[in-house]
Amino acid sequence: MADAKVKKECDPADAAVIENRIKELCIQFPQGITDQVIQNDMPHLEPTQRAMVINKLLSVGQLDLLRNSSGLLYRMKDAQSASKMKGSDNQEKLVYQIIEDAGNKGIWTRDMRFKSNLPLTEVNKILKNLESKKLIKAVKSVAASKKKVYMLYNVQPDRSVTGGAWYSDQDFESEFVEVLNQQCFKFLQSKAEVARDSKQSPMIQRNSSFATSHEVWKYICELGISKVDLSMEDIETILNTLIYDGKVEMTIIAAKEGTVGSVDGQMKLFRGVNPIIQPTGLVKTPCGLCPVFDECHEGGEISPSRCIYMTEWLNF
Amino acid sequence: MTAQEARLCGLLLREHFGEVVEKIGTHLLRSGAQNLRTIVNESGTPIDLVKKSLCVLMKHGACRFSIGRKGPGSPVEYQASCERILGILRYPRYIYTAKTLYSDTGELIIEELLQRGHMTMSSIVKMVADRLTHNMEEGRSIEYNEVVSTFSKLVETHFLQRCPPVSEVVPPVSTAPTVPGAPAAPVSTGPPTPESFSDCYLVPSVSLAGRGKRRRSGEDVVLDQGTTKKAKTDLQTHGDEGIYWQVNFERFHLHFRDQTIISAVASKLDQTSSEIVRTMLRMSEVTTTPSASCTQALSANEVFRSLPANYSISRPILDQYLTLLVDDPMEFVGKTGDSGGGMYVVNLHKALTNLARATLESVVQEKFGSRSARIFRLLLRKRHLEQKQVEDFAMIPAKEAKDMLYTLMSENLVLLQELPKTPDHAPSRTFYLYTVNQLATARMLLQHCYKAVANLIDRRLFQTKESKRLLEKSQRIEAIMASLQASGAEPEQLTEVEEMISAPEKQQLESLRHHINKLDSAENQVDETIFLLKSYVASTARITR
Repeated sequence: MADAKVKKECDPADAAVIENRIKELCIQFPQGITDQVIQNDMPHLEPTQRAMVINKLLSVGQLDLLRNSSGLLYRMKDAQSASKMKGSDNQEKLVYQIIEDAGNKGIWTRDMRFKSNLPLTEVNKILKNLESKKLIKAVKSVAASKKKVYMLYNVQPDRSVTGGAWYSDQDFESEFVEVLNQQCFKFLQSKAEVARDSKQSPMIQRNSSFATSHEVWKYICELGISKVDLSMEDIETILNTLIYDGKVEMTIIAAKEGTVGSVDGQMKLFRGVNPIIQPTGLVKTPCGLCPVFDECHEGGEISPSRCIYMTEWLNF
Repeated sequence: MTAQEARLCGLLLREHFGEVVEKIGTHLLRSGAQNLRTIVNESGTPIDLVKKSLCVLMKHGACRFSIGRKGPGSPVEYQASCERILGILRYPRYIYTAKTLYSDTGELIIEELLQRGHMTMSSIVKMVADRLTHNMEEGRSIEYNEVVSTFSKLVETHFLQRCPPVSEVVPPVSTAPTVPGAPAAPVSTGPPTPESFSDCYLVPSVSLAGRGKRRRSGEDVVLDQGTTKKAKTDLQTHGDEGIYWQVNFERFHLHFRDQTIISAVASKLDQTSSEIVRTMLRMSEVTTTPSASCTQALSANEVFRSLPANYSISRPILDQYLTLLVDDPMEFVGKTGDSGGGMYVVNLHKALTNLARATLESVVQEKFGSRSARIFRLLLRKRHLEQKQVEDFAMIPAKEAKDMLYTLMSENLVLLQELPKTPDHAPSRTFYLYTVNQLATARMLLQHCYKAVANLIDRRLFQTKESKRLLEKSQRIEAIMASLQASGAEPEQLTEVEEMISAPEKQQLESLRHHINKLDSAENQVDETIFLLKSYVASTARITR
């Protein structure tokens, strides 16, 4: 197959030969060939003939048309995907291509319409078609529950769409998070207590009450309460919620690269703490918790003299 | 002076001084400085009543007079002080503190002074001695000397101060009695006052004269215990006429503030750290001005020397504790230098800020639940966050997070900040950020506290009024019983009198007493919150000025 037989006349047999030649060239240059390359290879080929052949290959679906900075690029299409697309028409192929380009984030129907310039009805029909052929799938996004993004069938949806470890089937798993929360807190609290009871010098006490995020991660993994694999970042988000609960405090220390659990030369340490004040005086009275506090005034329908919350509280 | 404060002041004045004083006081509070004629006309009370009420208010420091605004020669103007009237709420706390520091004698001295406003030392001492003797067993009495010594201790630690002298010509009188009094007036060791006020009251051995005490003016602390003794033979007047004493509220407030900081350190860290902080605060009592944001720098050596004897910790351990205190995120203690083993200060302003923040968080937690508290703390830490970020950081499902945020917003605890991307402020192209403003929220909660206390007082008065008939009856019965007992009646008569109150009435009385006590103690608890928030607001105002 070294020489391409180029004939001056264009006849159907020629077209097939030219096609094969172009396909060989594509295989030779997997990243794609330009018009220039084909011209160099077959200098006698007229541009019209070339264009015809290439269009035929494109329509059959054996060639991919791409554009780069210097011009058009033709690339051999994957045999498998080529077979898939047999029987689909151009529009479907276009839609499929757009979905493929969207990668693992998926694409929304409205964006699809913009990119392909197809009317909405057409797009919907094509999407349904492709879905029935099991080429694409619809994934519900966690951000907006009514929004559906489409992606290729075998592609894993991105974290931002499914929500990651805390979402199962687009539902935020509050109980799971709560359980993890409490477990982490108990671990840190018991560590702090052990440190306090050891009665050593205060510096050592404080340092031993710290736990790195790596230790907490290991502890949670060993507990085995999670069906999903949790990474250290996940555990750190849980520990952050404990900080926002006011039960835990965090420091960052510099750690040598390579010590277990260090990220970019730093390690985060967490420690259980006690609250600094008791519940304040205002909330010990019914007025502090009253839902109708703003409407209460002397002589009104809601007034201190007739307050039912106060009566209950006094008889307690 | 807000509406809530005015209402609370009115209630407090009515309870302590009666309705006439309440009327004049609230009128003055509402209308600012006025002269006598205007007060009489606008309040519609006869002039002699107005005069008496003004006297009462002035004696307690709630009202002061100054030159009229139109210059010398215009009538004197009177002005009521809202702060001072609200301080009435805190009397039980002052008395309790005096009791813990100086036992019963101190407690009674402070109580008497609070009730009467201004008094001379001799009258206080006599009254307190009488009261103490009255409560003791027969045949024992209390010496004036002990009372005098407690009194002087109180004066030494600045809990009591002299009232500013009022001069004839009326220059603007400053509110802070910083005028130094006369130098040491003589202490007389004249003949004892032979009066006996009750049966079991022995003659005191030493009479009092005005103990020379110059209250510290500003920075320098000059305590003069009147060592010069000149004999003054004055029987009835003890030589201290015209020298009136009053309670120094500022000093008590500093003490309360220190107590709160120490207990916060104790609960966050441990007992030893709180002792160290207590030592540091005690050492800086006299060197730090009340309005400073942090105490004077103390070296670690000094702290080590001044630690109480029973807390013997070694020097390196003390250094470790100090380092831990400095490293703590709450920043109670800061390090300002390395000389003398390390110079440390107690960060008063930061401590107050943290305590106020903890108070706000605890209110949100109790009122709205711990998840809303999580969102609140998150916003306090991160300042400005979008809706989505709040949900992600707090790990709360979107629907619930939205609900909680909107509830907090409707209570004005959380604010919404708009950041437009385009000049036309289109909602779809604007960032909406949630934020919490700590100072404004603290002020708002302070007003809520005032309203809550006013409600509690209202309720207490209402309940007393409801059961007035019953209370009167029980009082009459008690009086009858007492007189019968005094005249030596037989047991049957006593039981007969007792049975005049039926059992359900007794129960009612009991429950009424229980309710009143509960309401009273609740007022004191809310007052603690008021104190904390007010100190924080005042401290922030000083810093930002």
